[in-house]
Amino acid sequence: MSGTGVTELPGARERAAPGPVLHKGIGPAPSGWLDPRGRSLGGRAFALNRVTGLALVLYLYLHLGVLSILLFGASAWDDLLGVATSTAFLGLDVVLLFGLLFHGLNGIRVGLVGSGVAPDRQRVLFWAGAAVGGVVLAYGAFHVFGAG
Amino acid sequence: MSVLEIRPRPERARGYGTRSARVWWWTVGTGIALLVLVTVHMVAHHFVVDEAGGLRTYDQVLDYVGNPLILAIEALLLLTVTIHAMLGVRSVLLDFDWGPRARRLVDAGLWLLGVLTVLYGYVLLAVLAWRA
Amino acid sequence: MDAMDAQQVTADTRRFRIFRYKRGDEGGKHFDEFVVPVGPRTTLLEALLWIQLHRDRSLALRHSCLHASCGTCGLLANGREALACVTPVSDLGDEITVEPLANIPVLTDLVSDMGAFYARLPDRHPFLRASEFLPDADSPEGLSEYVRFEDCLECGLCLSACPVASTSRDYVGPGALTAAHRLLEDRRGADEQALLDWAAGPNGAWRCHAAYECTEVCPAGADPAGRIMAIRGELLRRRNGSER
Repeated sequence: MSGTGVTELPGARERAAPGPVLHKGIGPAPSGWLDPRGRSLGGRAFALNRVTGLALVLYLYLHLGVLSILLFGASAWDDLLGVATSTAFLGLDVVLLFGLLFHGLNGIRVGLVGSGVAPDRQRVLFWAGAAVGGVVLAYGAFHVFGAG
Repeated sequence: MSVLEIRPRPERARGYGTRSARVWWWTVGTGIALLVLVTVHMVAHHFVVDEAGGLRTYDQVLDYVGNPLILAIEALLLLTVTIHAMLGVRSVLLDFDWGPRARRLVDAGLWLLGVLTVLYGYVLLAVLAWRA
Repeated sequence: MDAMDAQQVTADTRRFRIFRYKRGDEGGKHFDEFVVPVGPRTTLLEALLWIQLHRDRSLALRHSCLHASCGTCGLLANGREALACVTPVSDLGDEITVEPLANIPVLTDLVSDMGAFYARLPDRHPFLRASEFLPDADSPEGLSEYVRFEDCLECGLCLSACPVASTSRDYVGPGALTAAHRLLEDRRGADEQALLDWAAGPNGAWRCHAAYECTEVCPAGADPAGRIMAIRGELLRRRNGSER
């Protein structure tokens, strides 16, 4: 025993050490928000809001990059259009539309709830947003693929 | 039995004065603005053009950007979306619990990134508007 | 290993995977499996106590009131927060994983160090109340408005469920903010401005992201998320010290 003037019981030091902390999440602790397992509507909406937000930030820079091709003149841009109107790309556009709609409509919910305006209505707001978003997404997808 | 203390009202701004409340207002405010601006942007660009996929050709883009009202809206959109994006990224990064010094670095870094993003976008818009 | 544990699960039994951890044990965290006989109304706590009695005396767990009013037996059942004493095993399926609460340090096995939960509460929060219904309580809405919060068990399920607390150790968490809101509703001498400043700080109410997981799992109906949002509404309303 180390001499502290007080007799330590066996194992006292191990008992005094802080214990492990279980975090929900895949991997290290800062990913805890991302894990949808065992969570309900609000937790999953929050995770998806963040994922769509981060994806939209990446898209912002992608978009600025693509638009920079305009600087190189008409032929470069029109070449790009050929690629950008391919089915795969149009499909990605629909994914983008989903991201925008989810983030925007859930954002309305978060804004209202998180400012203390409608704190007990969070589920209703989610489903209302989902209904509006579903309709707009369907119309948008229809239009993107050239039928509108 | 305890009695409610009568306290003098605080002099300084409290609710809005605290940083986090201001950040919240900016995020919500830009969010509301974006609901309008992004809708206008999407409709004007992609749902008004006849080409398949709703994408404009080079000349159509220049036509569009040549209109001063459109230019102003696009400029406002870029500014608003960059602010909202930087605040959103800040919210994600701040959850990592890196400490007050790191928090200041994150804030400075995002300010810089935001300013550069908006500047680049404005240069791009200016060049295209000039060509139009 | 006992022949019983090697059995297949039958209609009268369930397989439990229990998180194990002992201090100073170099083996570290692991899961032990037990096959436990259950009846139609067996609760999770009863099953765990059966394991403790008949299979492994070293299984450590906490419980007290057996009727969801003390908040002692909080744990994760199949990844979801629950009070073991009122959770029927029949709700949990054939294979049941039992772990201690998330986001709170583990002392041993299924026992959490609730000191970490209490440490987050605002400084002036009274842990013990001299009496629940004082005749001159000054809540303007009357007793019914805050009686619901009196039900807060301080069980820690909200902190375990919170995705922000899963990501960050510094966030004070829903339990603490609910306690602060409770004091704002009925101050009894607590310093209101100090509480609001505490809630407005960098680890306070603004870190909530409206996931509402805490309200979902709260066994007492204290609605922590709604109260956090109410604090934020209050913070936003106090523009420059001249209230409202």
